[in-house]
Amino acid sequence: MITRGPRQLLAEVQQPGLCIGCGSCVELCPYFRSHGGKTVMLHDCDLPEGRCHAWCPKTELDLEGLAQELWDAPYSAQGMGPHLAVVAAKAGPRLEAGSYQAGGTVSALVCAALEQGLVQGAILTGGRGLDTAPTLAQTPEEVTACAGSKFTAAPTLAALNQAQAQGCGPLAVVATPCQSAALAQRRAKPWPQRGAAGPAELVIGLFCNWSLDPQGLARFLAQRVELASIRSMDIPPPPAGVLQVETTDGSLEIPLDEIRDLIPPACAMCPDMTSEWADLSVGMYEGRPGWNTLVVRNEKARTLTEAAVEAGWLVVEEFPVANKEHLVHAAQGKRSRGLGAALAQGLLGVSGEDQPKALRVSPELYQAVESGEVA
Amino acid sequence: MEGQRQTMMGNQAITQGALEAGVRVAAGYPGTPSSEIIQNLAGAADEHGLYVEWSINEKVSLEVAAAASLAGLRSLCAMKQNGVNVASDFLLHLAGSGIRAGMVLVHCDDPGALSSVNEGESRHFARMLELPLLEPSDFQEAKDMTKWAFELSEEISNVVMLRSVTRLSHASGGVVPGTIPQAQGKAHFDHHGTLLDKGHGPVSSSPVVYKHRLQQEKLKRAVELFEDSPFNSYTGPEAPELLVITSSICNLYVKEALALLDASGRVGVLKLGTTWPLPPKLLQHNLGRCGQVLVVEEVIPFLEENVKIAAAEMAGEIGAKRFFGKRDGTIPAQGELNPDIVLGALADILNLPYQARPPEYDLLAQEAAPQATQDRDLAFCPGCPHRASFWSLKGALALDARDGFICGDIGCYSLAMRPTGYGMLKTLLAMGSGAGMASGFGQLGRFGMDQPVMAVSGDSTFYHAVIPALINAVHQKSPMSLVVLDNSGTAMTGFQPHPGTEANALGQPVPPVDIEAICRSLGAEVTVCDPFDLEATQAAALALLADQSTAKVLILRQLCALSPQRKGTKPYDVQVDPEKCLGDQCGCNRLCTRVFGCPGLAWEKQSGKARIDEVICAGCGVCASVCPQGAIIKSERA
Repeated sequence: MITRGPRQLLAEVQQPGLCIGCGSCVELCPYFRSHGGKTVMLHDCDLPEGRCHAWCPKTELDLEGLAQELWDAPYSAQGMGPHLAVVAAKAGPRLEAGSYQAGGTVSALVCAALEQGLVQGAILTGGRGLDTAPTLAQTPEEVTACAGSKFTAAPTLAALNQAQAQGCGPLAVVATPCQSAALAQRRAKPWPQRGAAGPAELVIGLFCNWSLDPQGLARFLAQRVELASIRSMDIPPPPAGVLQVETTDGSLEIPLDEIRDLIPPACAMCPDMTSEWADLSVGMYEGRPGWNTLVVRNEKARTLTEAAVEAGWLVVEEFPVANKEHLVHAAQGKRSRGLGAALAQGLLGVSGEDQPKALRVSPELYQAVESGEVA
Repeated sequence: MEGQRQTMMGNQAITQGALEAGVRVAAGYPGTPSSEIIQNLAGAADEHGLYVEWSINEKVSLEVAAAASLAGLRSLCAMKQNGVNVASDFLLHLAGSGIRAGMVLVHCDDPGALSSVNEGESRHFARMLELPLLEPSDFQEAKDMTKWAFELSEEISNVVMLRSVTRLSHASGGVVPGTIPQAQGKAHFDHHGTLLDKGHGPVSSSPVVYKHRLQQEKLKRAVELFEDSPFNSYTGPEAPELLVITSSICNLYVKEALALLDASGRVGVLKLGTTWPLPPKLLQHNLGRCGQVLVVEEVIPFLEENVKIAAAEMAGEIGAKRFFGKRDGTIPAQGELNPDIVLGALADILNLPYQARPPEYDLLAQEAAPQATQDRDLAFCPGCPHRASFWSLKGALALDARDGFICGDIGCYSLAMRPTGYGMLKTLLAMGSGAGMASGFGQLGRFGMDQPVMAVSGDSTFYHAVIPALINAVHQKSPMSLVVLDNSGTAMTGFQPHPGTEANALGQPVPPVDIEAICRSLGAEVTVCDPFDLEATQAAALALLADQSTAKVLILRQLCALSPQRKGTKPYDVQVDPEKCLGDQCGCNRLCTRVFGCPGLAWEKQSGKARIDEVICAGCGVCASVCPQGAIIKSERA
């Protein structure tokens, strides 16, 4: 596991435009801050090694190394990451109806984790419309206040760093795949020297194909609607192919093709659709409105899910085999596209080599990507 | 202490000369190395019945002094070299119209730019505007020449320029003071004559050609007086090998060099105190002494060129000369001179083996320096509000992340071009030019420029030259932000009052003119903030950057740490809790000592912790807000 310093972080991630603004490096120190969706360095720091670099999901993300360390298993080009079960899920009767988007599974799981005492709080991405606001939620009301999909990257992990610095107990994070990867870096690269900042107790990952650059989307939408009037946004399942923008004056549908240019370059090289590094992953359930797909990845996740069902927070049903095959196919597709893009940009390396790389895989997988077998 | 030799600073000697001449009104704008002249006159105002003011800028100060002269009172105006540029429009017209009671413009140049961002030559204005120029070469002469300048001014009915330099103004030497007369005479401006009547009519440079001719005739009278002036002197053998022509403080360098070379028997020195227009007979007599001439003066070859013109005109009488000086590179045309440079030039010309310094001197000095001195850049003082202001502006521009920048101008905050101000200033030119240039940069969005632009100005500079620039920005709808770093005084030059202060140069109460009200009256949105509140200041600056639809003003108001009200007081006791201090670990990496950089903070290498240097710390407490760990603790002093 290779770690360098903040100057290298700038050179390897910021300057090539790979920073996704996840907030992992923000609020750990006085140097990195997030503003308007961008992570910026306020002052020069010359440390040769730092948490900012160690925990960044866009540099030295050694997939093989992390898998060995965290899963005790090799990283596979197949499937959708380790899991015990995939189920259909939606919020149960305990979660107030109408307080959540789609199935409400994420909100339900967070509420259950809080009630169980598994965590003292959860870091969620609140806000409305374009204004994403990473938030610490500690009650069901605070959780549902954050409900709703956001389609721009948010500095969610900055709020985790802040909450940890303030001495909050164990925390859950609702994380995109890149944020899940950042949290995996934390587990694999602890920083014993000091500080409360570190991994999260529970990571609820989200399915994600790509996000949109917040400032770019704001400029794009500003030409079409009054930004302050945006209430929510959604991308319905295929074949809709649109971004729905709900405003106080009505709704607007924007063809996805028109906003593809707003996808940050960092998303193109992302190999993860289902938040493989999370404890549980939640996504939409294509063809069954009001339900989510829930991937239960480990024992902790299974215990939580069962408790959530028992307590009435969550309802689960069987997930059809055909749907799971479709999900695996999509996950593999994103992985192969991401690894291929990383290879093409010179950002893919082999575990243990010297040159700085954004992503690392085993020599075998590297060869497979190079020869086009993973495609 | 009349008649008794005293040690006086050059500027004090000039003050004494003006008092002996019976000066009644003095005005100026602060600027190193000139500031002590007005300051000293203000100190003498009560005793000698003077009116002295620090004016809003140099042009106005010259206008104030001219009014006194036209009303029959001797007046003096003082400024630094580039101040003459500011005053020059008025000076051109005043020179054309002429004055009545004696009026002297003292302009202090700063060769080597010891306290300036230019080494501008104000001597050229004398030639350009056709006014006599005097250059004292020592402290006694500074006093005597100033006094005589008033007489000369009345003799030719025009302004006399008297030029000092830093090494005269700010060095000290022996002066025998004379008598200071009783103030007398009532001020009255006679304007009932005709336009052609310079003594009694309305004052104007018009009719231009007629008055220009009068001006030039009077200048000829000055030349006649210069021919016999005791301020010009020759020392040396009747027929030297080399004639040195010099003026100003360079005369002392020449004397020292000749003594060290033991070459006084071979070299003659023509020391000129009246350097424009040059007296031709005096020149002809001295140029006739030998075939080689070295001109020793600082910065641009002003004297050299004028001597060469005169020599060309009298070539029939004196023959061709070989000239050494700046034009041939014998003497550098930039930076200050010193005896070593003059010595090197003389040794070359005279073919004398002489080394100003033994060759190993530099090496030894380099070895010794680190032990004797600290490697330290110019820095804001401990407790300086500017450090806090630029810290927040830096943060705001970084967060804004559009490669925005700050245009600066002249004041203590000019240091923000250096590491002490985090290198935040990206333009640093003339007084008020930050705002003017930001007004221009703000218009370039139409050409694709997407960087936001800010300007900073001090409070004194705001009055001096920023107001027109701000009006321009508001009127032309330039999306710029002006940050006024209001430390409530003309801090850089020694706390002279300005239109925003509650007392004038004489210590009398005057109505302060409110910067905020001025800006609002121009239609600019104004926010006022305490720069010591880092969070609020950064937020205010970010808000300016976020909405650059119009010109906006942010006033960051906090007293200068050296201001008379603040100096010596410590609002807070500040301490570092070593338990909490992270030092150079990840999470801090010495933010306070390595980045914030207040001299009151010290880094203890051995313990790996920061420490407050009690002696240096001004107790502003800002570092407590900078520390990410809350390890710097400030507690209010009883």
